[in-house]
Amino acid sequence: MDNLLEVKNLKVEFELGAKAISAVNGVNLSIKSGEVVVLAGESGSGKTVTAMALTRILAPNARIKGGEIIFNGIDLLKSEERDLVKIRGKEIAYIFQEPTSFLNPVYAIGEQISEAIILHQGKSRKDALQEAAKLLESVKIKDPQRILESYPHQLSGGMNQRAFIAMSLACKPKLLIADEPTTSLDVTIETEILKLLMDLKRDFGFSLLFITHNLSIAKKIADRIYVMFRGEVVEEGTMQSIFVSPRHFHTRELIAAYEKIGKI
Amino acid sequence: MVSYIFRRLLGIIPLLLGITIISFAIIHLAPGKPTAVEQTMNPRVSPEVRLRLEKLYGLDKPLPAQYMNWLARLVKFDFGRSFTDDRLVLQKISERIPLTLTINILSLIFIFLIGIPLGVKSAIKQGSLFDNITTVFVFLLFAAPTFWLALLFMQLFCIRLGWLPISGITSLDYEYFSWWQKIPDLARHLFLPVLVSSIGGLAGISRYMRSSMLEALHQPYIYTARAKGLPEASVIYKHGLRNAILPIVTIVGLSIPGLLGGSVIFESIFALPGIGRLFFEAVMSRDYPLIMAEIVLGGVLTMIGNLVADIAYAYVDPRIKYKSS
Amino acid sequence: MKNPYLITGVIIIGFLSLVAILAPFISPYDPAMIDQNSLLVGPSLKHLFGTDSLGRDLFSRIVYGSRISLSIGIIAVGISVSLGVFLGSLAGFYGKVIDTLIMRFVDIMLCFPTFFLILAVVAILEPSIFNIMIIIGLTSWMGSARLIRSEILSLKEREFIQAEKALGASNSRIIIRHLIPNAIGPVLVNATLGIAGAILLESGLSFLGLGVQPPVPSWGNILIESKATLGIAWWITVFPGFAILVTILGFYFIAEGLKKIIG
Repeated sequence: MDNLLEVKNLKVEFELGAKAISAVNGVNLSIKSGEVVVLAGESGSGKTVTAMALTRILAPNARIKGGEIIFNGIDLLKSEERDLVKIRGKEIAYIFQEPTSFLNPVYAIGEQISEAIILHQGKSRKDALQEAAKLLESVKIKDPQRILESYPHQLSGGMNQRAFIAMSLACKPKLLIADEPTTSLDVTIETEILKLLMDLKRDFGFSLLFITHNLSIAKKIADRIYVMFRGEVVEEGTMQSIFVSPRHFHTRELIAAYEKIGKI
Repeated sequence: MVSYIFRRLLGIIPLLLGITIISFAIIHLAPGKPTAVEQTMNPRVSPEVRLRLEKLYGLDKPLPAQYMNWLARLVKFDFGRSFTDDRLVLQKISERIPLTLTINILSLIFIFLIGIPLGVKSAIKQGSLFDNITTVFVFLLFAAPTFWLALLFMQLFCIRLGWLPISGITSLDYEYFSWWQKIPDLARHLFLPVLVSSIGGLAGISRYMRSSMLEALHQPYIYTARAKGLPEASVIYKHGLRNAILPIVTIVGLSIPGLLGGSVIFESIFALPGIGRLFFEAVMSRDYPLIMAEIVLGGVLTMIGNLVADIAYAYVDPRIKYKSS
Repeated sequence: MKNPYLITGVIIIGFLSLVAILAPFISPYDPAMIDQNSLLVGPSLKHLFGTDSLGRDLFSRIVYGSRISLSIGIIAVGISVSLGVFLGSLAGFYGKVIDTLIMRFVDIMLCFPTFFLILAVVAILEPSIFNIMIIIGLTSWMGSARLIRSEILSLKEREFIQAEKALGASNSRIIIRHLIPNAIGPVLVNATLGIAGAILLESGLSFLGLGVQPPVPSWGNILIESKATLGIAWWITVFPGFAILVTILGFYFIAEGLKKIIG
C-alpha cells in the first residue's frame, strides 16, 4: 500500500516577542490507507502542533521552518491557501479534545454540521440538514432531530463529541485526525467513543491519526505508534515492539504510567 | 428565558423605590425649605404664593409624609408645576424629549456605524499601523473634554469654514422654507451636536469591540472553523464576529446615562432646546420640581436601559436563551 | 523601555505637579491682575499664551489652574476611593444581608447619570471648590466599591485566609492586613482613572458656571469665555483645553502602565 501521508523533517517554531521557540524539530512519520497510527507523548511534546501543521491551521504566531508534508502525492507545505481550503474538512478532518469548546456556542448543531456539507458538496440547506440527520444516526444518536436543533451547551460532552465526529465525517475524508478526543470524557463514554470510531473507520474507510498520552487506548486501536518527546519522534513501531523492547526512556515512562493505572 | 425576564422585572421595583428615595433625599439636603431658597432667587414670588406652594408641597409636614405625598403624585405622573413659569413640569419635559431623543438616536447610529467596523478591523489587523494609529486616536478622544472638542469644531466648521451654523436647531427663516429646504437645514444644525455627542461612545465601542473580537478569534471553535475548510472571511465574520458582537447589544441600553449626562453640556453649547439644557436651566434657577422630575426621569431611563440591555443579551446568546437541559 | 506608558505618564504628571506647587514662582503675572491695555491680546513674548477679555495673562491663569485641577482631582478621588473601599470591603467580607443592602444601594446610585446627580446637588449647595470635591467624591465611589468587593469575594476563599482564621485572627485584622493589600492593585488603577474623570467633571462643571467660580482660575472656567471669543481669540480655546488634554493623557498613561504591572 502506498503512503497516504508522508511527513518528512517537519520543523515548526513559535514566535514569542523577539524570541522563537522550537515546537517540532525534524519529525518524520507516515500513514498508509486504512491504518490507525497513534501519536503518543506527554503534553508539550509537539504532537498537537504536528497535527495542526498538516493542514496549516496553526496559531498566527507559528512559523513552519522546513520539511515536506506529502498527502496523496502533493506537498501541502507548498500549496496555496486556496488549495488547502479544498482539502480541509474534505480530505483531512479533525476532532478535538474538548468538543463543547471547539463547537461554536451560538449556532445549533445542525447548522454547524450542514455548513461543512454545503461548503464542500454544494448541497442546499434542506438537503444538507437531511444529510446531517443521517450522519447523526451513523454515530449512534437516537433522536437526531432534537440534536440538530440543540446548541452545544445544552448537550453532554459525549453527545457533543459524537456530533463533532459526525461533522468531521460529513464529507467522507480520507484522513481523520483525532487529538485526544476522549481525554475530557468519562471512562465509560470513552470506551463507547473509541468503539464508535473503529466502527466508523470500518464503514467509512478512513485512516486515523490518533493523538494521546494514554497507552491503554493506543494498545486497543493502534496498528503503529510514534512516540514524541520534546518536538522529536523518539520511537516508532508496532504496539508489540514498543512494549517488548522500548528504546527511549520516555517510552518506558509512558509504559510505566500505563502499567500503574492498570490494564483495562 | 421567560423566567429570567420575569425575575429581572421583579427586581425593578426596589430599584424604582430607591431612585425616588435618593432623588427626594438629594433635594431635601438643602438647609431650609426649597421654597425659601426659591424666593431669594425669584423675588417676584409674593409671601402668599410661597405659603400656597408650601401647603401644596406639604412642606409643613414631616419629611416621610412629604415623601409619601410626592410619591403618590409621581405614580399618577403629576410632577407638579415649575417654579419659574408655573407650567406643568410634565409638559415642559415632554415637549423637549423629541429633540434629545432624535439627537441621541442619531448619535447611537453613528457610534455603531463607525465604531464597530473600526474595532473589528483593529482586532483583525492587531499590531498593524492601522491598529496603532486607531489606538492613539481613541486615546486622544477619551482624554479630550467633549465640550472643548465641541468648541474646536465650532471654531473650525462654523467660523473658519462657515459650513455649519453655530447654534440652534433651525435657521431664523426656517418657517418660510419649503419641505426640501427644511431637511438639509435641520441636518446642518444637527450635524455638530450629533458628532460631539457621539465622540465618547465611539471611542468606547471601538475599544470594546476590539477586545471582544480579539477574544473571540482566540477561541477553540475558530480552529474548528478553519479545519472545516471555511474561507478566512467566513471564519472571521461568521464564526468570530457573531460571537464577539454579542455583548455589543447591551451597549445601546448601557449608553443611556452617558448620553443623558453629556447632553447637558452640548445642548448648552449649541443652544438646543432639549432635556439636558432644561435640566441645566432648572439648576440655574433652582426650580426644584423640575430638578426632581428630571433626576427621577434620568434614573428611570437608565434603569430601563440596563433592563433592555440585559434582556437583549439574554435573547441573542443561546447559552442564556435556552437553559442547559 | 520596559513600561513606556508608566514612564511617560509619571513624567507628565510629575511635571504638572511641579508646575502646580511652584505656581507662584513660575507665573509671570498675578492671575487676577487686570491690564486694561492688553485686552484679548494674542500670544507674544510679553504674554506667552495671550490674554483674556479682562486683560489677564492666560499663561499665569493656566498655571494656577493646575493647582485647582490637581487638588480637586486628588481629593475627590481620595473621598470616593475611601468610601468605595470601605463599603465594598464590608459587603465583600461580611456577605449576606450587609452585602445585599450595600450592593442594592450601589445599583440604585448607578442608575443616575453622574452629571445629573452632581448638578442636582450643586443646585442645593452653592458651588465652591470644597463642595465640588465632596460632591464628585460622593457620586463616584460605586466603581471602587464593586471592584474591591469582587476582589475580596475571590480572595476570601483562598487558603491563607482560612489559615489565618484558624489561627484566631480577628476579622478586621484580616481585612486590613491581608485582603486590602492584595486587592488594592485594581483599585489603584481605578483611582488613577478616577482622578482623570474627576478633572474632566470639574472642568465641565466650571465651564457651565457651576464649578469653580471666577476669578479663581480653573481650566474649565477659563473656557467659559471661549464661546464668546471663538473667531477672535483662538488662544483662549486652545491652551486651557490642551492643558486638560495633556493632564488626562498623563493619568491614562499611568493607568495603562499600572495595568501592565498588575497583569
